[in-house]
Amino acid sequence: MTVPLPKQAYPGRILPVTLPAGPGGTPVTVGGQNALSLAPEGEKPNAAAIGMEVRTGGGDLPPALAKAFECRATDPVSLAGACANDWGAQFLFLSLDGCHPDGGGQPVEEGARIVHEVLAAVSCPVIVGGCGEEETDAKLFPAVAESAGRPVFLSYADEKNYRLVGGAALAYGHGVVAWSPIDINMAKQANLLLSDLGVPPERILIDPLTGGLGYGLEYTYSIVERIRLAGLSGDAMLARPVLCHLGDAWKAREAVDASETSWGDAVLRGRRWEETTGWACLAAGADLLVFRHPGNVEAFREAAWR
Amino acid sequence: MTESFHSSCIQGAKSVLSLARASLSHQLAGRGGSAHLGYPDTAYELPVAFGLTDLKVSTLADGEKVLDLAEGLLRNAPTLENALEAGAATLLAADVLGALSHKDGNPFSPPSVGFVPDSILRKLGIFMVDGTVPGVAVAIGRATDPAAAAAMVRQFQEIGLLVFLAGDVAQQMEKAGVKLGDDFKTFPLGPLPAVIHAVNFAVRAGLTFGGIGRGQTQAMYNYLSQRVKAFVCALGPMDEIGLAVIAGAMKAGFPVLADRNLPEIPGALLRSPAGEEMVRAGMEARGIKAKIVKVPIPIAFGPAYEGERIRKSDTYAEFGGGRGPAYELVVSAPLSEVRDKEIVVVGPDIPDMPKGGTLPLGIVVTVSGNRMQKDFESVLEQRIHRIVNYGEGTMHVAPRDTTWIRVSCEAQAKGFRLADLGMMLYAKMHADFENIVDRVSVTIHTREEDVQRGMAFAKTVYAERDARAKTLTDDTVEEFYSCTLCQSFAPNHVCIVAPERLGLCGAINWLDGKAGYEITPTGPNQPVMKGAVLDPVKGAWDGVNAFVREHSRNTVPGFNLYSIMDAPMTSCGCFECILALIPEANGVMAVNREFEGSETPCGMGFSTLAGSVGGGAQTPGFMGVGKHYLLSKRFLAAEGGLPRLVWMTKEMKEYLGADLAARAAEIGMPGLVDMIADETVAVTPEQLLLHLKKVGHPALSMPPLL
Repeated sequence: MTVPLPKQAYPGRILPVTLPAGPGGTPVTVGGQNALSLAPEGEKPNAAAIGMEVRTGGGDLPPALAKAFECRATDPVSLAGACANDWGAQFLFLSLDGCHPDGGGQPVEEGARIVHEVLAAVSCPVIVGGCGEEETDAKLFPAVAESAGRPVFLSYADEKNYRLVGGAALAYGHGVVAWSPIDINMAKQANLLLSDLGVPPERILIDPLTGGLGYGLEYTYSIVERIRLAGLSGDAMLARPVLCHLGDAWKAREAVDASETSWGDAVLRGRRWEETTGWACLAAGADLLVFRHPGNVEAFREAAWR
Repeated sequence: MTESFHSSCIQGAKSVLSLARASLSHQLAGRGGSAHLGYPDTAYELPVAFGLTDLKVSTLADGEKVLDLAEGLLRNAPTLENALEAGAATLLAADVLGALSHKDGNPFSPPSVGFVPDSILRKLGIFMVDGTVPGVAVAIGRATDPAAAAAMVRQFQEIGLLVFLAGDVAQQMEKAGVKLGDDFKTFPLGPLPAVIHAVNFAVRAGLTFGGIGRGQTQAMYNYLSQRVKAFVCALGPMDEIGLAVIAGAMKAGFPVLADRNLPEIPGALLRSPAGEEMVRAGMEARGIKAKIVKVPIPIAFGPAYEGERIRKSDTYAEFGGGRGPAYELVVSAPLSEVRDKEIVVVGPDIPDMPKGGTLPLGIVVTVSGNRMQKDFESVLEQRIHRIVNYGEGTMHVAPRDTTWIRVSCEAQAKGFRLADLGMMLYAKMHADFENIVDRVSVTIHTREEDVQRGMAFAKTVYAERDARAKTLTDDTVEEFYSCTLCQSFAPNHVCIVAPERLGLCGAINWLDGKAGYEITPTGPNQPVMKGAVLDPVKGAWDGVNAFVREHSRNTVPGFNLYSIMDAPMTSCGCFECILALIPEANGVMAVNREFEGSETPCGMGFSTLAGSVGGGAQTPGFMGVGKHYLLSKRFLAAEGGLPRLVWMTKEMKEYLGADLAARAAEIGMPGLVDMIADETVAVTPEQLLLHLKKVGHPALSMPPLL
């Protein structure tokens, strides 16, 4: 006797979103599925996209990243080139943390210039992240939106700054990453607010805030899964691709602390910490993953089941 | 006068049209029909034609089509409708004229800028979307008093408005030393007809930021009238062309404020003297609000200080709390009766008091706003508690005429006075109720006789409110309100807040839900249309069920608002108390969050019970509720109501006290409260049953719950 596998059919479908590429580059399209990741049923026209983060600020690198980046660490343009051309990133997440008052305090114009140069150096899609300091970002996003020569995604818009980021995106034809602090209501609200503003739905990604392994990952897992279930159940405001930025994995002491020799090799440990965080996010339903370690890009791009 | 105004508008439109015709034929003769017609540096051809018609314009011949279309809008009968159509014709013709004049770039001499290119539109547009630029003021004509007009434009700049100037007022402002240019977001456009560049700027804003495509006329008009918060200040006498421009502005939905004798059209054409009055009128006509960045008071102010207690020994001044009469009241009034930011203190103030002194206190906050409703007064009034507690060194306890306020010695030493208290209320009412409040004034009385008189009035308001609250029943309203605030941790839980069943957290009643929706239309409080009644006794409606199903993402098919046994409402985790079935007693018990004991007749204390009740689960026999639900006429109506209550904690019994007794008397069981057991009487089902039998509790003779 054979027991038929139950197949769940959802009324909704995740909206496909395309991150545009530069001349000669390959755009990245994600979303479009009508089922959960890993489940056997449904259509999944687009695999999760694997991207890499490039930061403009200095600061100490974890041992694992210092080893991988070598001399490129201090030059965002050359690092971006390596990510896109040598390490296989399908898209870049360029964080302008160098403009943060505590992270070097580069002038806004300098940040915008780096964006311009990186966009000239790579042809893959690019998401540009602010520095995280409200006042600086309020100047940074308009400047970046204006100086970027081609469409990018701006990250991120939240409950407070969505008008500014949404406005900058509308003015120059960019997309927006809608961020919320591990809260499905706020994720929905951010999307509602951006829609009210007139940002087209196919230019919005959801960033639900990704906690690193051991530092809140389980909350993120649950939220990503619930956002996806809500979207598949027909909630249009949540039927959008989800981006998981794994940067927080590198904030874990376990990922970076080389002084704890009993924990094993810090270089391997850091990479693994990010990798494990990434697998969980992928299983939860993430459509875009942002890594820092080149080795993980390779691992994920080759994963058959993503 | 109205008729002559309309006919002048129409005449003016004809003049603009013939000017455009003349200029166009001149260029046609010289350059030919296929010569280029358009503005420099824009992706939107002739923006007005792009946004309001489906004509594609790239040549002089195309320009002719626009003028033909404009001409077709003109009718001679002097009606308002025809005047507005003439306004539309004026906008189209003026845009053609404007583009013709830009054949070789900006035709005007500096500082006039002529057409404002897309690059500036995009830059400024971000800040308009963002709200940093809260609106657009367009001043046209020739000011009779240039100094007053200059002061007005400077005020626009202070508020952060984008300012366009067209006509003689541009030179007048330059002469008066008003700072002009990009950095000051103030653009002198040129002579009066150049005002079209303000209009085509607004149209391009709709095309760029509003996602509106070519020829979506109605969508564009909606965008102009609702999203672009622009108003026009018409200064000095207006000729027919000026009036046609005014008609065009009205057609676009921009209110016009005129300092001359023009017929008033509510919402569209208003009279106002140039100056501060006009600034206020313009801001109000567009609902533009200047943001308060920092509350100007000598003490720190914010949620961080909310929990601060001020001990008697640290108290400098004290109001109410049994030491003297004190009350607080929020009332609404028509816009014309409230002067925004008016803060008045009548009587002795904190500096006049000795340390540890007391004074009577009467706080009256008067608010007005187009979306303010009388029902919201109590919601705003309740917020006073939090606002006063936000101050470092100010403490607030108890509402209405039981209020009690302390000001610390530290705050007094920093120079805190009652006017600062007024400022806290003013600023925070604006910030917290931005969507419903347009003007706020605060009056604070400290003289005994004034406070007594005010309090007598306040009591009549409280009584009216209470009477109104009694008429608010689940049957008399069309809609309930949802609260999904807790979905962050109870993902499938939906609270339905009805007049007769407040939120289970006790913090949100039906009015709060209603106000919450007005304040944040995208927030967790959404109106829920009741729909058809499915069961009036158990409290089931098909609209409610549909909402619950959708918002619980298909996990809860619906529920009965007044039942604990049959499909009860789900519980998040914030409930004030838990109702639990005691099968042996054929009734329910109630235990509140503060109850620390673990012994109750159901065998579990509050926290153990909470673990099995919360999380959005629907558990027949168990339910989290707000304490005041026990007083509702709908309390467990499906199961027989209050007589089902067999046990409650002593603390809850004391808390509900007289109200519970009154409710028991209301249902004809004045002795019921005394029959309800508490932890001093019974902590096991056996003890409880003995007690209930002894006192003859009605639950024992009610239909079986199981």
